[in-house]
Amino acid sequence: MADIDVSSNRKILTSDVLDAISTQVRVIHALILRETKTRYGQHKLGFLWAVLEPIIMVALFVAIFAGMRNDNPGGMPLVPFMLIGIVPFALFRDVMNQLQGAIATNKTLFAFPQVTTFDVILARGLLEILITLGVFGFLLAMAHLAGFTINVQRPLEVLAGCGLMSMLGLGLGFMFASITPILPSLRQLTSAFLGRPLFLSSGLFFTADSIPSEIRQYLLYNPIMHILELIRGAFFYEFETAHGSWHYAIAWSVGALAAGLVTHQALRKKAIVGL
Amino acid sequence: MIQLININKRYRTSAGTKVVLNNVSAEFPKGKSVGILGLNGSGKSTLIRIIGDAEPPNSGRVISDGKISWPLGYTGGFQSNLTARENARFVARIYGANTQYIEEFTREFAELGEYFDVPLRAYSAGMRSRFAFSVSLACDFDYYLVDEALETGDARYREKFRLAFQERSASASVILVSHNEQTIRRNCDMAAILHDGNLDVYDDLKEALKFYSYLQTRKVA
Repeated sequence: MADIDVSSNRKILTSDVLDAISTQVRVIHALILRETKTRYGQHKLGFLWAVLEPIIMVALFVAIFAGMRNDNPGGMPLVPFMLIGIVPFALFRDVMNQLQGAIATNKTLFAFPQVTTFDVILARGLLEILITLGVFGFLLAMAHLAGFTINVQRPLEVLAGCGLMSMLGLGLGFMFASITPILPSLRQLTSAFLGRPLFLSSGLFFTADSIPSEIRQYLLYNPIMHILELIRGAFFYEFETAHGSWHYAIAWSVGALAAGLVTHQALRKKAIVGL
Repeated sequence: MIQLININKRYRTSAGTKVVLNNVSAEFPKGKSVGILGLNGSGKSTLIRIIGDAEPPNSGRVISDGKISWPLGYTGGFQSNLTARENARFVARIYGANTQYIEEFTREFAELGEYFDVPLRAYSAGMRSRFAFSVSLACDFDYYLVDEALETGDARYREKFRLAFQERSASASVILVSHNEQTIRRNCDMAAILHDGNLDVYDDLKEALKFYSYLQTRKVA
């Protein structure tokens, strides 16, 4: 008798787990479609803006830096150099920013029992990553058509770097998404004290080699700086990084993701009540 | 049958801890419309959200033998900058139902005309609740949780819903929450009263309403 009980229990368990997984996949799929509609559905220019924004940024910073110096940073041509700083960085910053408000803006959805805060945050993160990668590919194709040499040395490493950048964004995003409903002032703090300083100090506009070593040793605590160096080293034939470390970058990305998921797990109930 | 077993729910507010549900146990039989009456602020919405698994209790369990709807109310679950069609598709997807069927059923039953393809933010309260009810009817639940929303919309449409629920009453039941005894009298077979963290279930509707009017006078006095 006991044996039969155990086996029937196990059967229920397996099908329950499969059920839960298929529900979760369904929900995340539905959320991504819905999020795409809400973001790009009403404004026809929505998707155009996603492409235009990085183009304007690249143009702006190319203009500024071309005026300031006449050599190419680390031997890399200036336009692709800027492009391959600004767009990968967006993987981190935009994912983080988008996730921060994920729980608050979707609160009516939690009336549906199968929709969890985890699903809502992850769906939004995946959509942002997909859009940014799509924009990245599109801009590279545009740059190629415009006559720039786009010849990727180690494409898989470029993708790996983008993956690490996304993980950093997801990790901090999960963390801030869970804390912000409880502590709303965090929203201003992250953009003023995290987004902007990192934008300026992560090497979007310079290589690690180009700055004095006394300053560089501090800047190299920043994992984003490592990842950008690694991505550029993998992308350009003209450039190999002497400072970017895969180990350091992976440790940070995995650590950030783990910390974000743990924070979310600990606070998710409070976060819903805090709305 | 839906069974509530030893449910406790507290909220921490700036004024201290508020006990909303104090070890509540109850049984709602299948095929009956149950009204849950409570004064404003007694925790009716919290109770229905817990039954619908939209919010966890501090302790206790809800057991049921069928599919329970999400709590139908004014705002529940819909994105106001999406159209009715898009919202209906979303619901179909998360419940793993046939998207086309849910969409068609909702479009026909809600009688929204061309508003079906207009974002919900342009809707009146009545149109919103018509939409919410129609989507949930399309999903074919065994238990429908309704939070006050029956009273919006015109009389003809209310009647349409009453009939739709009646038609399904062999297989489906409604749990309706309200502070208005008229609503409960019109729509329910039995009632439970939520007061001071307790839930008293009455098989006899009249008796329930008598106790409720006593509660109301007590509050005034």
